[in-house]
Amino acid sequence: MNGWYDYTAKLLNTTQTIVNIVKIQSESKYYCEVKYGIAAYRQYSCGGGYPSVSLSTPLPGIPKPVFASVNGQEKYETKITTLENGLTVASQNKFGQFCTVGVLINSGSRHEAKYPSGIAHFLEKLAFSSTAQYGSKDEILLTLEKHGGICDCQTSRDTTMYAVSAEVKGLDTVVSLLSDAVLQPRLLDEEIEMARMAVRFELEDLNMRPDPEPLLTEMIHAAAFRGNTVGLPRFCPPQNLEKVDRTLLHTYLRSYYCPERMVLAGVGIEHEQLVACARKYLLGVTPVWGAGTPANVDKSVAQYTGGIIKTEKDMSDVSLGPTPIPELTHIMIGLESCSFLEDDFIPFAVLNMMMGGGGSFSAGGPGKGMFTRLYLNVLNRHHWMYNATSYHHSYEDSGLLCIHASADPRQVREMVEIITREFIQMSSVAGELERAKTQLKSMLMMNLESRPVIFEDVGRQVLATGRRKLPHELCQLISSVTASDIRRVTTRMLRSKPAVAALGDLTELPSYDDIQAALSSKDGRLPRTYRLFR
Amino acid sequence: MAASLRYLCRAGRQLVRGGLLKTHTFPGPLTAPRHRATQAAAQVVLNVPETKVTTLENGLRVASEDSGLPTCTVGLWIDAGSRYENERNNGTAHFLEHMAFKGTRKRSQLDLELEIENMGAHLNAYTSREQTVYYAKAFSKDLPRAVEILADIIQNSTLGEAEIERERGVILREMQEVETNLQEVVFDYLHATAYQETALGRTILGPTENIKTINRADLVEYITLHYKGPRIVLAAAGGVSHDELIELARYHFGKLPARFKGEAPALPPCKFTGSEIRVRDDKMPLAHIAVAVEAVGWSHPDTIPLMVANTLIGNWDRSYGGGVVRICFNHRLQNLFVFFFFFFFFLPFFLKCPYHTDPLAQMACQGNLCHSFQSFNTCYTDTGLWGLYMVCEPATISDMLHFTQQEWMSLCTTVTENEVARAKNLLKTNMLLHLDGSTPICEDIGRQMLCYSRRIPLHELEARIDAINAQTIKDVCTKYIYNKPPAIAAVGPIEQLPDYNRIQSGMYWLKP
Repeated sequence: MNGWYDYTAKLLNTTQTIVNIVKIQSESKYYCEVKYGIAAYRQYSCGGGYPSVSLSTPLPGIPKPVFASVNGQEKYETKITTLENGLTVASQNKFGQFCTVGVLINSGSRHEAKYPSGIAHFLEKLAFSSTAQYGSKDEILLTLEKHGGICDCQTSRDTTMYAVSAEVKGLDTVVSLLSDAVLQPRLLDEEIEMARMAVRFELEDLNMRPDPEPLLTEMIHAAAFRGNTVGLPRFCPPQNLEKVDRTLLHTYLRSYYCPERMVLAGVGIEHEQLVACARKYLLGVTPVWGAGTPANVDKSVAQYTGGIIKTEKDMSDVSLGPTPIPELTHIMIGLESCSFLEDDFIPFAVLNMMMGGGGSFSAGGPGKGMFTRLYLNVLNRHHWMYNATSYHHSYEDSGLLCIHASADPRQVREMVEIITREFIQMSSVAGELERAKTQLKSMLMMNLESRPVIFEDVGRQVLATGRRKLPHELCQLISSVTASDIRRVTTRMLRSKPAVAALGDLTELPSYDDIQAALSSKDGRLPRTYRLFR
Repeated sequence: MAASLRYLCRAGRQLVRGGLLKTHTFPGPLTAPRHRATQAAAQVVLNVPETKVTTLENGLRVASEDSGLPTCTVGLWIDAGSRYENERNNGTAHFLEHMAFKGTRKRSQLDLELEIENMGAHLNAYTSREQTVYYAKAFSKDLPRAVEILADIIQNSTLGEAEIERERGVILREMQEVETNLQEVVFDYLHATAYQETALGRTILGPTENIKTINRADLVEYITLHYKGPRIVLAAAGGVSHDELIELARYHFGKLPARFKGEAPALPPCKFTGSEIRVRDDKMPLAHIAVAVEAVGWSHPDTIPLMVANTLIGNWDRSYGGGVVRICFNHRLQNLFVFFFFFFFFLPFFLKCPYHTDPLAQMACQGNLCHSFQSFNTCYTDTGLWGLYMVCEPATISDMLHFTQQEWMSLCTTVTENEVARAKNLLKTNMLLHLDGSTPICEDIGRQMLCYSRRIPLHELEARIDAINAQTIKDVCTKYIYNKPPAIAAVGPIEQLPDYNRIQSGMYWLKP
């Protein structure tokens, strides 16, 4: 208790502390300059005390560095400990002086079934605002800056993630700050107003942005999982903006922000150290919303429904500048894939890689997936199409594999048929399987070069499964995927009803029944409709 | 599994060509040893691998940092960009970059593409005003092949007439694409006015007529003139052995000529002119404006105080919702890796809203001043642009500009030690956190080798930042900003933008 008091007292004197630090720094600088002789080289270009030595020349008097060398240091394993209160601590050591530490919570838009949608979106914007210990967001940032740190909160459909990257030696402060940000937010009225405004701006930008991908993803989830779990809106619906207040947030937080639903994950630190910090700051802490029993916890399993969501929108002038962007209609067609807990998840990921695709005009060089199906069969053959990209969304209980395509509104019917035919042809696998597997592995390893990505991987895996499959284990699983696996998952997927999202001028859009008929036919063609007057 | 495969989405497409944001990122090595000034020992322990540098007989430099990863990035950083072009051949460097992937004497375009894709590698290139870069990302075990491919595409490119014709269309299409990105448009205008009549004023892509007329001879001439050993750096990071890399470099680049026929091409001098370009278009919803003063080149010591000043102003976007400092996990936004924002730029907006006292109205007021702004410091060899890019509603332009200039003036006169200390910390944090993963590190090595002929050790960079105080910022900002003529580029509904003389008169304060 004493320590905590000291800590607060220190914070109250923050301004003064900084002034002191600056003073100390400048004094020692003086000392240092005299000692190492910067002063001798100093030219007073404009009256300041700043050394005018070109950056091409080493600064005189700088001590000789001793560098680290690598010998197989990347072979660390992920260590996991569960505390008495149910909170899991997971860590992965990594070379370097920075660490990324954060709290992942099994809470996201999918858990809002018994609440107005948008709470998770608000919580994302409210993250790292004032807490019991810190009077404002600015104080938090100031504390982090002392350890070279930055913070971030991201929510997705199933997870909320509070993360900090900072110097390793600031770990204690970082964990204490994280605990405070997650469990003791003040949620002041003005902060909620601020979040409301940020959410509103984000919604505006979402509709103004020429890239419709986030909007389509939202729509296809709503179509595929109608009214349940991951189908619930990820972005706060405009009509709910005014519904969110502190009481509501507290009720929600009491239900979902409990230790059993949390993982404290860290990358670049010693496990014992992290566990010690977790015990200190996350064990036996009563959150600001009290210790009441969780009510209204949604434990439902995702129900894939399929269906169609259409948004008629004038897309003839989406360009923000003087150069027009051609009018496009966007469609996304998806089928149920599988949960990331199932064995079929890896074949689905390979299949997604094999489909690949992208924009008809994109800057990247070789390596962007030029020989993926959607490039070879769609974009290279039909030059009128602007985009064809495959996406795979996977959750703990279900998943969705979908293809986004865009073209001129007059060619929507043709475009839909091209995409449905691609779905039907997925099961015939040729030589491209090996390439897709290699690319999947390289993408995995390249993304895992970066510490925040490793952090997210450790956290999400441990949150979902209680353990972490290491990159090389995943690579082995990818290597063992065969053509018959791809055939099996395709057949499985084609048994589900399609989910369709359509955005733009939809006069030429085939009916949902026709799309469904095409996806259950042998060749993927839309039923011919013979109309006398076309 | 969820997350690792979540990242198995398509990797972000690199900005080919402009590298606009790249020039804003700060060069600096991997992680932070907090170099304590009082430390008496003449040694400092860095928890990073050493950057090893070797110069080959023909002047080509090999620089690498081995971090033992299973993947790596390797690339060629060439001291040649659009700045070395003239009015007639402007666009050649960029055209050449496009031709690099169109086949060599050993491999057809299809062979090259298949080989890269089957390796699970990536090959990419970009051209900026002063540099051309070709790089590959691959599994570390494929390093030899990656180097061989890089050597092949820059030394044996066929530059076939048919491919050249086809590529014209692609570049013209790319040009259209660039024109839809208003930030790029505004920065091209800014260069055009600030460096008018000189090489830096020209665009990287070149004008349409050049794209239509550049021929094989132009491309060959550009290569023979510029692609020489001493002007090329082979940089690598990730799982790479320096010794292996040297051997590969000797083998594949040993034949690159070391000398220039006759005079080595000199860096064309460029002159800054305070001036403006206004492209008024009332149909556009938002105004996009960049205002800049002339700053300094890469290696000038004042670069670092200017970087701190830049950090003091910061970046902001209205959907950040207040002062959010965030790590961007999204790899599609690799270049914008770290967004940050400074509260004390925000704060004046709060305080200076004259008519509102309740928080909501204040927020509406401050939120309406602009949609986003971004402070930049773009460096070239001997000059640079320091300023602010803003996107705002037509009605708030003059207020936004007014507050911007107020902030600039306070940098020159009243900036406090507290603010500077925070900015220094943030600058260090941003540059250190940016160096995560083999590609940003390799890019940093390559660029620094070209700019400084060395990689500045991290503790030196820190020492340089630590040496800055409020007085340094005031002095340096006064030197480059105070009462200096700005260059302005504005696009959109900009009727409200004050005239040039009025803006210039906001560049000084009459001191009491």
